Amino acid sequence: MTDYLKSQRAGDQLAAEHGIDDPFAAAIRATRMAMIVTDATQADNPIIFANDAFLRLTGYARSEVIGRNCRFLQGPDTSPASIAELRGAIADGDDIAMDILNYRKDGSSFWNALYLSPVRNKQGQIIYFFGSQLDVSDKKQTEQHLRETRSDLELAVEARTRELTLALEQKTALLHEVDHRVKNNLQLISSLLLLQNRREKDPALKHSLRGMLERVNAIATVHRRLFQSEDVERFDVSAFVRDLVSDMTGSANREEIRVRLDLERVDVAASKAAPLALVISELFSNALRHAFPDGRAGEISVSITRQNGDFRIEIADDGVGAVEGARTSGFGLTIVQLLCQQLKARSETTDAGPGTRVVVHLPVNGAHH
Amino acid sequence: MAGRALDVLIVEDEVLLATELEFLAQEVGYHSVGLAMSSDEAVDLAKSLHPDLALVDVHLQDGPTGVEVVRRIHDDCGCVALFMTANVKRLPDDFAGACGVIGKPYSEHGVKTALAYLAVCLEEDRAPGLPPVGLELAPAFAERWGLTETPLSA
Repeated sequence: MTDYLKSQRAGDQLAAEHGIDDPFAAAIRATRMAMIVTDATQADNPIIFANDAFLRLTGYARSEVIGRNCRFLQGPDTSPASIAELRGAIADGDDIAMDILNYRKDGSSFWNALYLSPVRNKQGQIIYFFGSQLDVSDKKQTEQHLRETRSDLELAVEARTRELTLALEQKTALLHEVDHRVKNNLQLISSLLLLQNRREKDPALKHSLRGMLERVNAIATVHRRLFQSEDVERFDVSAFVRDLVSDMTGSANREEIRVRLDLERVDVAASKAAPLALVISELFSNALRHAFPDGRAGEISVSITRQNGDFRIEIADDGVGAVEGARTSGFGLTIVQLLCQQLKARSETTDAGPGTRVVVHLPVNGAHH
Repeated sequence: MAGRALDVLIVEDEVLLATELEFLAQEVGYHSVGLAMSSDEAVDLAKSLHPDLALVDVHLQDGPTGVEVVRRIHDDCGCVALFMTANVKRLPDDFAGACGVIGKPYSEHGVKTALAYLAVCLEEDRAPGLPPVGLELAPAFAERWGLTETPLSA
């Protein structure tokens, strides 16, 4: 008897057990899900039943599948690992669900979501295998497409990251270059003022040049400090004041004048650093030059504190006071007034009895209320 | 200063800066022996003049060659160099053999104080105290001049 006939007969026998009025058999024959039954008792486990959906899915006629082992569905690109896994499950009598690449009669391939399960008799022996097949090519394609899209995206992100890193490096290099030039130019300006001061004989002119040099130095002190921290946006006022006051005091060469610093650490926006530096420089210079005439001894105190959301900068001396000292050297005072306006700051000069006290209230953010 | 004036070589491509720096060095007792504006000039002058101190900018007429200049005059001539640069952060960790750095822009007072301090260090081979504001010493020289251990104890 040929395999085909043997399988045909086994199929017929199976069908006979489930008459035309058996709803389960009818359901299996008519369902849209492709289903087969194989005979485990025959050699090579041939198909003995295939429903119409299976034939539609694979493109074979019933006579072409009955009596054959299912492996005819496999083809050149079917994964050997999947085939081995499938064989293992059959040999072990286990259920198995897997996506496997199968081929239709016309040679076209499809992704088969295969489910295979053994059917046992009362004695527990495997007599049939029941298999269902579902074409999941669309899902597979979508997955593949997603994978490709994701990998394209990853590549795009990588490329963009490289571009941005390069742009950042260029920006940093440019910032360093500009910083370098600013510092060198400030050095050049102060050298020019110093050189001219050396040649100048007129005391009034020398005095003006010294004043300008002091202002340039105040700005230079800001720039020395400006890029020292990692945060290029913020500027530590207390560190700056320490540098500036130490330089100006040393430069004045007046050992009889003591300087007391009481500096809370406060940061301002880098854009406010230069104008604030000029204001402090003018006020401190004023005290240094005018509060203690004729070698008079005394103390200048500089304090920076936070007060009601403002920075309070106080420069006080115990010298001769405003009237006697005839301070208000015109231009210096004008600079202070103009820059306070720019900084939205408020400055008050009071008699400290003895001496003079100037307090600058600088709003931490934005304008004064 | 007690002994003879120390010889200083200025290596700087901005002639106005160099000229003013020469005045400042003289005011604190140095003797200026020359001015170099490129790396070759600097090395040649250092070899022939053997200055006690070379003040070296990083950017010279032939590019950012100051670090190499310092290394060569330190290795070949045994000359002590001091960087004067706006790019303090970009100096090598070993300062290429230089004794330290003054950051630009420096002030008249700052540079004079630093040079006077270095004159004492060079003459006595020992620091008179902590370096003044604006002068940063190289680790090797801080150690050589006795500043590494408990620098605040004095």
